Amino acid sequence: MKLKLTFFFIFLFKISFQICGQQTVTFGLGNTKNITVTSSSNSTDGVKTLQSSGYLPNLNSASRFLSQATLGAKLTDIQSVANLGKEKWLDAQLALSNSFGMEAYVKKLHKTRVDSMLRNNPSGGYTLDNVNAENWFFDVSWFQGSLTAPDVVRWRTALALSEILVVSRNSDLDGEPYGMASYYDILLRNSFGNYRTLLDSITYHPAMGSYLTFLNNHAANPSKQIYPDENYAREIMQLFSIGLFKLNLDGSEIKDANNKSIPTYTNTDIANLAKVFTGLGWGDRRYLGQYQKDKFSYTKRMKFFPLDSLDWSYWNGNPIYKGHDPGPKTFLGSSLPNRTSLPTAQWELDISDALTIIFNHPNVAPFISRRMIQRLVSSNPSPAYIQRIATIFNDNGLSVRGDLKAVVRAILLDPEACDCNADQNSNYAGMLREPFVRYMNLMRGLKLTTQGGVYRNTMYDIYNRIEQIPLYSPTVFNFFKPDYIPDGDLKTANKYAPEFQLLNSQTLTEYTNALNRWLIDDSPSEFWNLFDNETYKPDQNPKFDLAVDSTLAKNENIPQLLDKYNLILAHGAIPKVNLETIRRAIVSMPYTYDYYGRPNQDDIYRRIRIAIFLIMSSPDYLINR
Amino acid sequence: MNRRNFIKNVGCAAMGSTTLLSTLTNLTSLNGALGADLLKSAPPTDYKAMICILLSGGVDSYNMLVPTGTNTGGDNGYNEYKTVRTDLALPSVGSAGGLLGLTNPQCTSFRGINCNYGSYGVHPSMTGVQSLFNSGKLAFMGNIGTLVEPIANYTQYQSGLKKLPVGMFSHSDQQQQWQTSVPQSRDAAGFAGRIADMMNAVNSHQEVSMNISLAGKNIFQRGQDISEYAISNNVNPNNVGFDSLPTWWGNSGLLTKTRNDALDSLVSKTYANLLQKTYSTTTKGAIASFGVFKDALQKVPTIATQFPANNNLADDLSAIAKIISVRNFLGAKRQIFFIDAGGWDMHSGLISGLNTNLGEVSAALKSFYDATVELGIADKVTTFTISDFARTITSNGGGADHAWGGNTMVMGGKVNGGKVFGAYPKMDVLSASNLQNTSFRGTFIPSISTDEFYGELALWYGISPYDLCYALPNLGNFYSYAANSYPVGFMNFGDTTISNDNLPQNCLTY
Repeated sequence: MKLKLTFFFIFLFKISFQICGQQTVTFGLGNTKNITVTSSSNSTDGVKTLQSSGYLPNLNSASRFLSQATLGAKLTDIQSVANLGKEKWLDAQLALSNSFGMEAYVKKLHKTRVDSMLRNNPSGGYTLDNVNAENWFFDVSWFQGSLTAPDVVRWRTALALSEILVVSRNSDLDGEPYGMASYYDILLRNSFGNYRTLLDSITYHPAMGSYLTFLNNHAANPSKQIYPDENYAREIMQLFSIGLFKLNLDGSEIKDANNKSIPTYTNTDIANLAKVFTGLGWGDRRYLGQYQKDKFSYTKRMKFFPLDSLDWSYWNGNPIYKGHDPGPKTFLGSSLPNRTSLPTAQWELDISDALTIIFNHPNVAPFISRRMIQRLVSSNPSPAYIQRIATIFNDNGLSVRGDLKAVVRAILLDPEACDCNADQNSNYAGMLREPFVRYMNLMRGLKLTTQGGVYRNTMYDIYNRIEQIPLYSPTVFNFFKPDYIPDGDLKTANKYAPEFQLLNSQTLTEYTNALNRWLIDDSPSEFWNLFDNETYKPDQNPKFDLAVDSTLAKNENIPQLLDKYNLILAHGAIPKVNLETIRRAIVSMPYTYDYYGRPNQDDIYRRIRIAIFLIMSSPDYLINR
Repeated sequence: MNRRNFIKNVGCAAMGSTTLLSTLTNLTSLNGALGADLLKSAPPTDYKAMICILLSGGVDSYNMLVPTGTNTGGDNGYNEYKTVRTDLALPSVGSAGGLLGLTNPQCTSFRGINCNYGSYGVHPSMTGVQSLFNSGKLAFMGNIGTLVEPIANYTQYQSGLKKLPVGMFSHSDQQQQWQTSVPQSRDAAGFAGRIADMMNAVNSHQEVSMNISLAGKNIFQRGQDISEYAISNNVNPNNVGFDSLPTWWGNSGLLTKTRNDALDSLVSKTYANLLQKTYSTTTKGAIASFGVFKDALQKVPTIATQFPANNNLADDLSAIAKIISVRNFLGAKRQIFFIDAGGWDMHSGLISGLNTNLGEVSAALKSFYDATVELGIADKVTTFTISDFARTITSNGGGADHAWGGNTMVMGGKVNGGKVFGAYPKMDVLSASNLQNTSFRGTFIPSISTDEFYGELALWYGISPYDLCYALPNLGNFYSYAANSYPVGFMNFGDTTISNDNLPQNCLTY
């Protein structure tokens, strides 16, 4: 305590601020000297600075911020944040419009395939309709967008949302790249939009309708004992909005008199809500129950069919009682009116009314806030952190509920996100980087050989190795669950670590071997032909371009090499002692010269690659904190 | 932000200076070792293995095991089934693509609840299972599920006086509870994990856990002290461990060692941050296992039994057969394997989905049983299925939704096969007189608890009655040990010696 008091006095007496512009103040006497505070604050009282919101970050801090706000950053990005400051940089990001259309890019790839087939066989009659579009068109599009779109915070946020509002090709979506791309466009478009709009968009998207099986769901037919599908009714509440148990604003569970958690809904609520999600069918079809028209059906908002068509029922031989159930429904303590006698078009109001009831449930703010923090910043946010974000979710300051832009901004600029010294009050700070995010860190952090800025990375082998790429979750519960607690010390401490659910002896071996492939074999990307006999286009199949580091492979320069990639990949988190372990390994590797005294390029290559390999294998990198 | 936090920020990358106040506490593990009063389970001399197959997603097990009686006024099970299952009902025994009949399944009653039907069949795709059942190597548990304590009927279920599983009908919760058998808790260890806590020491190579997973992390195999060893089903010795650096590097062997030593050194450091520590510990554990596992796999004999192709479950079971074949090289006296065979959440497309999936399960089980016969260990291996829950009896039009109690299979040379255990429920779920049913959709209160099922397996595996409630804390609500009185009766204990003076201790009761 004495130490801290001393500091406080020093602090009061030594800091001064200019009214405008930046200045550097050096303070600290006695025990700790020469702490440099750089201020960009314009405030007269320095409050902003004291709240650490006005600092220009140093490079490590900028890199750390980018590790939370993006999928990976280059040295130039890091410098840009250091120059602008986090807030300015982030606000500029949040102001960028959605720049990359996934569906459009899938179509572009698809059209390239069709056009080239027509070139080879002009009378072949090939069209977008009759030529296959493949899953990997989605993956190539995703990779292209993730590497080229300037709105990088949006891309980070959309990936997070894709792990909360899960749809996956591990379903009927397999082979439907248009459907996956169209769904991902919704996530990109709404990443900084409103959560109520997002709920509407996913509810009406056929990818979700198909994935959670409420597409072509119809009203109960009691005479046949056929009832509405309950899948979406359950998962929209359990996973997309309120969760299983009532929550306080800080994310903790409300307990009853017996200290038990209080369920948010019962199976009766589910049965009632299931009636709401009836009557939605393909947007380009005429009847409820009709099958998908074509691959583009998946890009069209689902259509509401209040009544089934008798024609269709006749042909189907399986008459359906009603498309939508207009009767009264009660769930989450609210009721929807009996709309039976209203015009059938108004029956659809059930859906928007239900989404509004769900959206306004007090659980939504803490539930979604905690999940978003877990995806971006840390596995165990403090209750106060969750509460700060949930408060903003409930009201962004302009009386708007569900403003994701405000939520993302608050998450990334929260003191707890920016506080890399959280170890002083918690030894469970941070999060394990997701395997796929590690891959993206590498691809976005290192320079790639490419000319036209066009990439064709199918990420097929990557999925096989690390078991994770976008929209390929095994189930609607994502690749890992928010409340997963690994064995050992974290279990003893009762702390969450969702990403550890993917970590075991098998997957960590696979990750290590994937690093081998990406770095050592120089094969970080996978080019597949779009059509038969296509000429290989090496500029679309990037390798790492580390030529600039060549001079850093010499023994005396290895520390510089390690510092550089420690900054880019691990925001300087790898401590000296571990850097020394890596340094010793690298300098023990050959470094030879040829007849003319030029260093051997193979030796240089091997030293640099192994150095980055070891940084990427270091627990100080893998746990982002 | 208070000044203390400010000073902290000064000291780290947020401000770019050397770390202040960097003393970090290093929590010692509080993971309790087992109390000395546990571990009365005697070290075994023989070999035994359990294989748990999780049919994740919730298999429609009322289309896996179906009543077939058609006697109006008597056992009219099939017609009752057909009436309520409408478009999901399978054709009757003898008709084209119809159910496969089981020989004299002897379903009687369980814990005072009568079994409702006398004749049964299995799904038309399950020829392998039919033959295993009829030859006495496979049994069914009828209407088994997650329970904290017995619930006799709908009245008790509604009374609020009986403890119910948390998160009923939710995939994540019910799947977890089938693995922990502690349905009142969301953070209990798994059944196999707790068994391994007590018995892992009997295996001589501790580097490779008693619990081997083909499905990565899972709750079933997670104990206080012991976790799973995760492998892929490609059990080629060359597939174990970290890839070497390219051979054309010339000095690749030396450089690979340099790299691996550095990696090992990085994960051998002391990390105060528990996430880093957990990552490091996991990596260290994996590295330690590579040598033992690789060496053992090199000794796998040729196994003549053919496993079906394009069948993931068969691939997993084939890998398990190979591992069991080198049990002596692994120093293993006891092993528990875990498989996740997913794809059962059939809210739609149920008829075609079951045709494919149940056919694969059946073929995989049959070939695995045959392989254990070939290896001479059929009596030492018991294989069983679990699933999140059964699905609603009534249809949603092409599919069914989440329910509760369902049917499972258990297979092995020591299984009292050819029987349906438990109390298979009455299908008339639209009748108010059906007291096992809780909803117009058809969701049954389980007649057998997971505890009773696992309790029987635990005793067979060699857990002393004294230790049973460490493995299954709720078991005392369903069963009290007495000599020659077993929880369900599906295992043949003929040559097993179980002490009868070591009664279960520390059971939870309500």
